[in-house]
Amino acid sequence: MNFAFDEEQTSLGDTVARLLADHAALVAPDLSADAAGPAWDALAELGLFAMMVPEERGGAGLGPVDLALSVEAMGASLAPLAAVDALVVTDLLARHGTPAQQEQYLPRLAAGELRVALAMIEKDDDDAPESVKAKVAGGVLNGVKLLVAEGAQADLFAVVAQSDSGPAVYLVPADAAGVSVRAHEDIDPTCAHAAVTFAGVALGDDALVGPAAPARTVARLFDAGAGMMACLLTGIAGRMLDTAVEYARTREQFGQAIGSFQAIKHRCADMAVAVEAARSATYYGVWTLSENAPDRARAVSMAKAYAGEVARHVCNETIQVHGGMGFTWELGIHRFLRRTKVIEHSFGSSVWHNERVLTETLRTLADGEAAQQAAA
Amino acid sequence: MDFNYSPSENEFRMELRTWLAAALPQGWGETVFEPEDEHERAMFRLDWERKLHAGGWSGINWPKEYGGRGATLIERGIFAEEMARARAPEGINIIGHNLAGTTILAHGTEEQKKRFLPKIISSDEVWCQGFSEPNAGSDLASVRTRAELKDGKFIVNGQKIWTSYAQYAQWCFALVRTDPDVPKHKGLSFLLIDMSSPGITIRPLRQISGESEFNETFFDNVEVPAENIVGDLNGGWKIAMTTLAYERGPEDALGRQIRFKQELDQLLITLTQTMQGNRSAIDNPAVRQRLARAISEIEIVRLNALRSFSRLLDGADRGSDASMTKLYWSHAAQTMYEVAMDALGPIAPLSGNDPAAASLGRFQLSWLQSKAFTIYSGSSEIQRNIIGERVLGLPR
Ligand SMILES: Cc1cc2nc3c(=O)[nH]c(=O)nc-3n(C[C@H](O)[C@H](O)[C@H](O)COP(=O)(O)OP(=O)(O)OC[C@H]3O[C@@H](n4cnc5c(N)ncnc54)[C@H](O)[C@@H]3O)c2cc1C
Repeated sequence: MNFAFDEEQTSLGDTVARLLADHAALVAPDLSADAAGPAWDALAELGLFAMMVPEERGGAGLGPVDLALSVEAMGASLAPLAAVDALVVTDLLARHGTPAQQEQYLPRLAAGELRVALAMIEKDDDDAPESVKAKVAGGVLNGVKLLVAEGAQADLFAVVAQSDSGPAVYLVPADAAGVSVRAHEDIDPTCAHAAVTFAGVALGDDALVGPAAPARTVARLFDAGAGMMACLLTGIAGRMLDTAVEYARTREQFGQAIGSFQAIKHRCADMAVAVEAARSATYYGVWTLSENAPDRARAVSMAKAYAGEVARHVCNETIQVHGGMGFTWELGIHRFLRRTKVIEHSFGSSVWHNERVLTETLRTLADGEAAQQAAA
Repeated sequence: MDFNYSPSENEFRMELRTWLAAALPQGWGETVFEPEDEHERAMFRLDWERKLHAGGWSGINWPKEYGGRGATLIERGIFAEEMARARAPEGINIIGHNLAGTTILAHGTEEQKKRFLPKIISSDEVWCQGFSEPNAGSDLASVRTRAELKDGKFIVNGQKIWTSYAQYAQWCFALVRTDPDVPKHKGLSFLLIDMSSPGITIRPLRQISGESEFNETFFDNVEVPAENIVGDLNGGWKIAMTTLAYERGPEDALGRQIRFKQELDQLLITLTQTMQGNRSAIDNPAVRQRLARAISEIEIVRLNALRSFSRLLDGADRGSDASMTKLYWSHAAQTMYEVAMDALGPIAPLSGNDPAAASLGRFQLSWLQSKAFTIYSGSSEIQRNIIGERVLGLPR
């Protein structure tokens, strides 16, 4: 057992961080999605999208743990959310895709040529993927999905919809007849969110991902997504902490740096502790994803809920530490605040994940009690 | 990063599990519990520590030459998990194991190691910590207890306070002033004091829990052999910092997490079995969210400690991590006991032996005890100062 990243994982994370630092427009105050394209291309050129593609399909065959620090860096630099969705879909196809799907999509995903968007959330949804109402019947998909990141740029949608036997993931080309896209108005336009309507879309024969186990496939998609979101949130929280501390060191009032006042210093210390706690939960959660460990659901939920609450807290505190500057558009902290709120609600809210942490814990406890009684 | 266990690690786990099952009384943690009376409980814990030692399970991470097993960090993690699983009792010589032992290992002479370590690991000698004084708490460096070197002996005069377990201790390590004429950090020394020396008086102090774990300790011309100094004369501050780094460090946090996890599990089981109105207490949605958060935080105490271990193995400095570790576990545990008292509902105030109390009133006592977590081992405010200044580089 060892709770440290190896050199390759660390250096990949550093590389991604440096690369994205060159794309300063990603964190600019104005809410334009223009920076997303160049950043996506640079990440593709780096080979990021090939990392989770299996070696026999021309990729690096890495798993979520190998990319955790990279995704954290993507969070810290407000990299395109759709790029992370692409990684989540790659993970899903690598594990559950049919050979034909793998052959068709993975090489283009690896090259960063195929833009895939995740279509999960619906209007009257709760957070559970099981609650979607989009439906596939007789090979035809009907439903309306909301908050699809870069929905208008997508070549392919990964859609969660009900099959005859429960929720499943389907792959739907964006140019299929019956697909229409409407841009959203929302708090973070840099994600280029869209509503996507699937009106009587006839699906291909090989549209269903993981036909042997559709429910497990949905669960994997959801958990992998939640784990990656936890990495993004941790990255945002870490960057906000650094920003707050830097300001506390340099801004002077009453003839001294504001960081010398305990009210500020102690807030910063609490933020630092919270960020480290979020990292502990997130890294462990991501490891259970890599290993498909038995406690994956609990660990990922812990990571997502905890990192979400920490990121929100740290964004709020960072604004407070900056005083009036913190509330200005130009300083751009609002970008992190907005992105955090979007991520908090994707792949399940903190409330939903907390509930799952408790349910899973109670289940494990009951199993343990039963086992002990059986042994006695 | 890898949380899988090797075959030898699994073997270690099974060996310990089997040992624990045989060593603990029949029905332990279900029908059989620790004695109620404070003194009996202390003796019970001392017996348990000695039993652990007899079984080879005491001080497992210490080097083999001083009676330990030289256990790896992974084995330490497994040890904590198995102790939690078996609901094993706490020890009473925690200060001996975690503070005196580690400090002597780090800075003691070979003679001191040979003299003291075996008796700590066997709990034949219990230790207490003589740092705090009435006028030197957070500002530890301003301690006034004097030690004057005369004819190869230190003569110690003064008063310590909040000395936990002094009533059970054979030895005390103390921070004393050996030079009053230099800046306060530079005139301190670290002494090992035999508690049976003439001139030592202890007076119990009652705590908010009603217990009297801590004491006032008075030193009146107490003679301490000169060889009982750890480190240099007037070099005690550095030694005390090592002690504090261990007191606040991941080993300590992991040990405590054992108890928090046990009590949290017990709370969850109790809540599923407690009716509130027409539903079970566990089904209160407002409580469920907070329970989940408590579960996560207590789990993070463990994960933080494991991450810290990995960093220490990589050669990181103990000091900076320790304050973060301590600040986190103390608040996580306090919050957990507050949630417990809320979740128990109307019967929450019932404690101890009341037949209507939940789970033998254990949560009420723990809730009261938890109020000390953010005060001892350096208060939360002091930890935040340290983190702010030494980890984040904010100005003083
Ligand atoms: C149960 C228990 C067991 C203990 N066991 C031992 C033991 O075995 N041996 C031992 O030596 N000591 C022991 N202690 C003592 C403990 O270490 C001290 O209580 C602690 O260091 C605080 O010191 P104090 O009580 O003098 O409080 P003070 O230092 O007077 O602090 C009072 C308040 O002021 C705050 N404060 C102080 N200075 C600052 C500052 N610079 N900035 C911001 N806030 C500040 C503190 O955080 C606290 O809230 C024990 C304490 C308890 C509660």
